[in-house]
Amino acid sequence: MTAAVQPTRPPQASPVSRVLAIARKELTDMFRDRRTAMVTLVSAIAAGPIFLILIFNLIANQADRARDLRLPVVGREHAPALAAFLERQQVTLTDAPADYEAQIRRGDLDVVLVVDPTFARDAASGKPATVRLVFDRSRDRARPLIDQATQLLRGYNRLWGQQRLVLRGVAGSVASPLIVEDVDLATPQQSGALVLFLVAYYGLFASVMGGMAVSLDTTAGERERQSLEPLLMTPARPGEIVAGKWLAASTFNALVVALTLTGFYITLSFAPLPAVGVPFLFGAREFGRFVIVLLPMIALLPAVLLYVGSRARAYREAQANVSVLLFVVSLLPVVQLFLQRKEPDWIALVPVSGQYSLLNVALRGEALPWAQLLLSYVTPLVLAAVFLAAVARLISRESILAGK
Amino acid sequence: MIDVAGLTKSFGKRGEVHAVADVTFAAPSGAITGLLGPNGAGKTTLLRMLATLVVPDAGRAAVGGLDIVRDRYAVRERIGVLSDARGLYQRLTARENVRYYGALHGLTGRALEARVDRLLDALGLAAIADRRTQGFSQGEKMKVAIARALVHDPDSILLDEPTNGLDIMSVRALREQLRALRGEGKCLLFSSHVMQEVAALCDRIVILARGRVVAAGTADELVTQAGTRTLEDAFVALIGSGEGLAA
Repeated sequence: MTAAVQPTRPPQASPVSRVLAIARKELTDMFRDRRTAMVTLVSAIAAGPIFLILIFNLIANQADRARDLRLPVVGREHAPALAAFLERQQVTLTDAPADYEAQIRRGDLDVVLVVDPTFARDAASGKPATVRLVFDRSRDRARPLIDQATQLLRGYNRLWGQQRLVLRGVAGSVASPLIVEDVDLATPQQSGALVLFLVAYYGLFASVMGGMAVSLDTTAGERERQSLEPLLMTPARPGEIVAGKWLAASTFNALVVALTLTGFYITLSFAPLPAVGVPFLFGAREFGRFVIVLLPMIALLPAVLLYVGSRARAYREAQANVSVLLFVVSLLPVVQLFLQRKEPDWIALVPVSGQYSLLNVALRGEALPWAQLLLSYVTPLVLAAVFLAAVARLISRESILAGK
Repeated sequence: MIDVAGLTKSFGKRGEVHAVADVTFAAPSGAITGLLGPNGAGKTTLLRMLATLVVPDAGRAAVGGLDIVRDRYAVRERIGVLSDARGLYQRLTARENVRYYGALHGLTGRALEARVDRLLDALGLAAIADRRTQGFSQGEKMKVAIARALVHDPDSILLDEPTNGLDIMSVRALREQLRALRGEGKCLLFSSHVMQEVAALCDRIVILARGRVVAAGTADELVTQAGTRTLEDAFVALIGSGEGLAA
């Protein structure tokens, strides 16, 4: 009918062409905001390397400290045999300062060995002789040293006991009826749980943060700059406007995630990281698995953020609301880390948690369980559809015009 | 041609704010019709209804024979609106702003580029067409917004207070453009709270006050109707106050 009345009228645009026109314009707009785009993209690619180098050096330092143990001793002269044993085990013995307890409390010293003044007398009379290890177990950093010192003292205890038994004509094994051998089933990739956690966590975080600035700018920002009303007067339907904006924000988000993973990949494959005994894999295969796991998040988060942005009248207001969302999202994996239990299968249905769990599988070098993976797509995709529909309804309401 | 019959819209929880009440008038093609009324008279709400963004509570209106509720998307293809909110995309150039709206109206390829070029030229924006609109003056921004509203060659053009914030040179240029559009046979509806603006430009004037039409006709007819000597006196007499006379 339109064409009959006005033959010169342009052909009606199809919904798809309008969605694409909106997405293209939004992407152009995003990249024109150079500062925001650069900060987001550069920090995405730089985050992995900086992060990993820091963590690896931290671990390497700890390993070094454990290897050459320096042990301050009080009352060394009471137990010369013990001192000789420790020195044979590559331990550097020093005289402990007088205020060692205060220093340990402050964290200046990690562990101190105290030999009881009655050590020699007790040992000579066949009574158990006493040494004390003084430490503060709440300090993570001190733990390897504490464990190492404890182990060395146990070793000395066993050796001394066996010597006494041998002197009395008894085989040493009589006193050790039980031998405990450690069989660690963790593959080399499974060690370094902290690094695993951080890589998975940061990958997930990228999919949450990547689309934030652009999603809010395209909704709350559009309203704030008074360009939403003219847009709503074009033939573009609310659903098409939302679809176009979502397409653009998701594309940007996917780019941020890809750059973040690239940063990890390059660092772990080529950077001269200190050898710390956590050779977990992050190669091309893990890169691909990460992307597959994160896809539903890449789609969901922009949908949620578009909704939050559309409810706000201004960019700042939207930002404040988003921080609540970010808090919840960033807390879930931490809760999972501390639960330390085998996760139930339904965890796959919980956005964020499901993805985190699968990312860990990928990082351990195992194949992704397909059933769980499919399950992990369900909730995010349903939620994304719900949020996008809600945004379309929001912007077709007359009250959206009132918020000037 | 715009036909408005008994259009009514109320806001508020119980509809206690009667923004537009039983408004009836017609704006013919090839003419500029002025909607004159003080701030809060209901001009913006009326234009938003005609632009199909706000659904009326009662009454009906047709733009080019198409109903603003039933055929809202067909109406949108035929109207060009310079709304109260006229924000541009500041990181895009003038050309990109106009091109975006052309694409949303279904223009593509060379037809789109040619149309955008012609409009930018006609509005005197050619020299700054490829600059970001961020640093544009009010007048330049207004021109881009007009180009954007006209990119699909609409039959009916709605302008909500288009001269707000413009300097005198820009206002004069705008008037010239609107007269040219009238010459092309377009139907123009122009709202303003400034009587002199409307008097200088409009063929017919519809005076709104508190959501109602208090008078309509040519400037001469209004003077006769109010029994006053000048249009200014007629305006004051008709709306019952001196609001909107400060030019």
